[in-house]
Amino acid sequence: MSEQALDREVTFSAFFREKVLLGMAPKTYAKSLLTKTNAIFAAILAIGLPTMAYRFWKGMGAVSHLSQTNPWGIWVAFDIVCGVALAAGGYTVAAAVYLFGQKQFRPVLRPAILTGFLGYAFVVVGLMVDLGQPWRLPYQFFLTPGTTAVMYEVGWCVFLYLMVLALEFLPAALEWMGATKVRRYMGTLTIGIIVLGVTLSTLHQSSLGAFFLMSPGKLHPLWYSPFLPIFFFVSSIAAGIGMVIFESTVSHRAFRDQLDPTAHVDMGALQLGLAKGGAVVLFAYFFIRLQGLAGSGRWDLLLTGWGAWYALEMLGFVLLPSFLFAFAVRTQSAALARAAGIMTVLGVVLNRFNVSLIAFNWNVPDRYIPALGEIVISITIVTLGVLVFRWIVNRMPVLHEHPEWRGVH
Amino acid sequence: MHESDLLSPHATKAIEYLLAVSYLLLFIPFWRFVNGASPAQAFSLGWFHVPDNVHLHRGHSWARTFGGAVAVGLDDFAHKLIGPVDAVELPAVGTALRQGQKAFTVVADGQPFDVVSPVDGNVVAVNEVTRARPSDAVRDPYGTGWLLKVEPRWLTANLKNLVSGDAARRFLDAAAEALSGRMSPELGVVLQDGGTPVNGIAREIDPAHWAELVRKALRAE
Repeated sequence: MSEQALDREVTFSAFFREKVLLGMAPKTYAKSLLTKTNAIFAAILAIGLPTMAYRFWKGMGAVSHLSQTNPWGIWVAFDIVCGVALAAGGYTVAAAVYLFGQKQFRPVLRPAILTGFLGYAFVVVGLMVDLGQPWRLPYQFFLTPGTTAVMYEVGWCVFLYLMVLALEFLPAALEWMGATKVRRYMGTLTIGIIVLGVTLSTLHQSSLGAFFLMSPGKLHPLWYSPFLPIFFFVSSIAAGIGMVIFESTVSHRAFRDQLDPTAHVDMGALQLGLAKGGAVVLFAYFFIRLQGLAGSGRWDLLLTGWGAWYALEMLGFVLLPSFLFAFAVRTQSAALARAAGIMTVLGVVLNRFNVSLIAFNWNVPDRYIPALGEIVISITIVTLGVLVFRWIVNRMPVLHEHPEWRGVH
Repeated sequence: MHESDLLSPHATKAIEYLLAVSYLLLFIPFWRFVNGASPAQAFSLGWFHVPDNVHLHRGHSWARTFGGAVAVGLDDFAHKLIGPVDAVELPAVGTALRQGQKAFTVVADGQPFDVVSPVDGNVVAVNEVTRARPSDAVRDPYGTGWLLKVEPRWLTANLKNLVSGDAARRFLDAAAEALSGRMSPELGVVLQDGGTPVNGIAREIDPAHWAELVRKALRAE
């Protein structure tokens, strides 16, 4: 081997060791992976990945309870419809920081964008599991575009927004790799990318609601409304805020050693700032939802069992977290804001489940109940998301700023 | 039948308008409620300062990361509360310190006051300049007025128990607020006039029991 090649190899192995193995020797690194948490993750993957492979091999009938009557199950309701809403933190915080000048939220921007990016990436994984035949994915864009279909719009939006999120997150990866020149160039594109991201999110958060406009007879009248796109868009902002509060709390516990001890981020104050936004958005959302009910005029349904379920969602998971956020801000209680954040996230998940699963096909005799295989695959997808998130956060400047790029866009 | 057909769209519209108007009307008290933060938050004396990169312990010692080491000292509040310091008794290099337990002693007017350590670790240096002229530390409590340098053991965990930035300022404001309640009216006027507090507030407030007042403030509870 020439001396130059040897040099290159030594540099590369040092780079690999520093960047990928966290500065440890391969053996030490492998040993550091033997933890209780990892054992749980490994067990999930050991069951989940073969199940997923089996689904692609034998078709979805082999692992799911999906049928002609109930073609959409939890892969759509949870992995896609909820996944997109819960990934809304990225565009919400990006809009707050770059478009509305709320610079104080910068410390939560990168984690929110990473959560959004991985959220969408795994929405696409979920979509692939639901649709099957991943190699046919380009058909809907290039080969047989169905320009009048809502799916066509959603497909494009998710495809473009996933690329935008990758670009939004790229600076962190470039800082990590030490690619100074490209990183500097990326900085000049920031605002353009952010505007594109917020626009695309507005479009497809609402178009996910527009899906259900196609099936007015199938969705229970308490949830069906011509305003569904608006409901989905407004509640996605609340979901984004709730997720950022939740995620920042968890990250600050789980990745304590990643935090910059000299950065002095007052996370409580940040969460209270987000809580204020959450209070207002949920308060408005509550009244917008009531407008939907007023439009249909079906107040009589409130007195049925479905009405009680609807009231639980509206009062317990929209109005109550709104008041809790408000009370948290007033009393400056970050702990209360965190609790309200979790309730908001649960509330949006409940709403998406109601619209796409529970109150959908409410009047058919053959009700859908997810099969074990579907649940296992959903859990596997979430686990993969968490693992990738952890891998990235432990290496790239996400929860702390890269020392050489402090305060740079 | 005809009548109700005619009326129903009007009734629906009426409810929609009613909802929109109620939303706007209810939003006013809601927004007021959200913005009416508790008085403790609105209150800010700003008498005592603390830079952004300094972490405060509840016992009024501070820690600042300094390369691999941590500089430790007495915060602005404690300095001004105690007043002119006669001597500081610093631990020897190599001494092991524990967060929340005694780190050094400040002597003022013949009274010794123990100050707790903000972090766990071993003493690696002591400030001889401050030891020689302890009363100068009040001029720059977080800079040249440092007292010890410590090699930290559990820095990240220790820092979780300290406050910094806005939280540190709120902490000092709360300490100041607690004091302001005990001040004589004349002193209050002087201080609240926007000037910096006198050096030796405790003695001004209560000449007979000032040492107890200081010990209470330095207690790390």
